[in-house]
Amino acid sequence: MAGHSDSSSSEKKSTEAMNDVPIFSAENMQNNMKVIYYSRTFMSIIGGVIAGILGFTGFMGFVFYFLVMAITSIGLIAKAKFLVHSYFDSWNRIILDGFMGGLMSFVLFWTFAYDIVHIF
Amino acid sequence: MAEDLVLDTAIRDWVLIPLSVVMVLIGILRYFVSKLMRSFQVPDHKIVKEGQVIVRARNLRAAANFIPPKSFRSRRVYFSNEENGLLFVPKGQAQNAQAQMFSDPNMAMDMMKKNLSMIIPQTLTFAWVNFFFSGFVAAKIPFPLTQRFRSMLQNGIDLSTVDVSYVSSRSWYFLNLFGLRGLFSLILGEENATDDTQRMMQMSGFGFDPSKSLSAEKDGLDIVQHEWALPKFEHRAEAVLKKLVS
Repeated sequence: MAGHSDSSSSEKKSTEAMNDVPIFSAENMQNNMKVIYYSRTFMSIIGGVIAGILGFTGFMGFVFYFLVMAITSIGLIAKAKFLVHSYFDSWNRIILDGFMGGLMSFVLFWTFAYDIVHIF
Repeated sequence: MAEDLVLDTAIRDWVLIPLSVVMVLIGILRYFVSKLMRSFQVPDHKIVKEGQVIVRARNLRAAANFIPPKSFRSRRVYFSNEENGLLFVPKGQAQNAQAQMFSDPNMAMDMMKKNLSMIIPQTLTFAWVNFFFSGFVAAKIPFPLTQRFRSMLQNGIDLSTVDVSYVSSRSWYFLNLFGLRGLFSLILGEENATDDTQRMMQMSGFGFDPSKSLSAEKDGLDIVQHEWALPKFEHRAEAVLKKLVS
C-alpha cells in the first residue's frame, strides 16, 4: 500500500469540537472529498492492472474490484485515525463515495493489462 | 471461453497502445487549449449582487442557531419580506435574466467555444478510428457479455460465431473515452475540461440561477426552526474544563 499512502495528502479537521451543533468547514470538507476521490481513482487503476496481469476473468474481476475499494476505504479510515466524524460528515462519504467512478478506469486498465499479458 | 483466439502482436503494438496514447494526448491538448482560450468577461453586476444575496441567506440559514431568536427573526424578515425583501422577486421579472443571458453575444460565444472544444476532438478521433481500425478483432474484454451487445461491440467483425468478448477497436475507443476520465483527473489536477457530464451540469445550471434559486432560498429560510444553542455552551465548557482539570 505504499502507493496509496503517497497519494492521500494530509486531511484536515473539518468539525469543531461541538457535538451538539456540528459545524463544517466547507473548504476542508471539499479537500477531504478530493483526497478520497484521488485515492480511489489511483487504486482502481492499479487494481485494474493487477487484475489483468493475474488473469482474472468475469465475476472474479469484479469481486477483486470490490476488494480493492474495501481496502481503500479501510486505508482512508485508518489515515483518519478512526475519528471519521471529525473529518467527514457521515460514514457514507468515506465508504461509498467515488465507488462507481473508479469502475470505468478499473475496467479499462483491466482489459488493457489482460490483453497485453494473456492474449497477445 | 469457447475458443481461445490468438491475436497478432502487431495489433497490440499498432492499435491498442497508439489509440490510448493518442486519446491521452488529445485530452491534454484540449485542456491546454481551453485554458488558453478562456476569455474573461466582466460579470454583470446585477447578477453578482443577486449571487451575494443568496450567499448571505445561505449563511444565515446555516448559522441560525448561534444568534438569539429575535435577531434571527428580524434578519429573516429582512430577507423574505413581501414588499421589499431581498429574496422576493416578482414573477414578471424572473424570466428576464434567462433571455438576456442567451442573447448576450459574449456568453453565447463562450458556450459555443466550450461546446466545440469538447465535440470536435471526439468526432475527429471517432472518424479516424472507424476509418483506419475497422474490420478486425482488436481486444478481448475479460468478462462475458450477453448476445445483445454483439452488434454494439463487434461492428466490424462479420462472423457471428466469435465470442462476444472479442471486440472491435470502436469499443476500445469508447472504453478509453470513459476510463481515461479518472486518469485525466489525476494528471491534470482538479480543473480539467474532459468530463462532459460535469460540463452539461454547469451549462444547464447557468440560465436558471437568478429566479429559481432566490425563491428556493426564501423557502429554505422560511422553513428553518430556530433553536438557540447558546445555553448549552455553558455545559459544554464545563465538561471540557472538567476534562482538562481531572
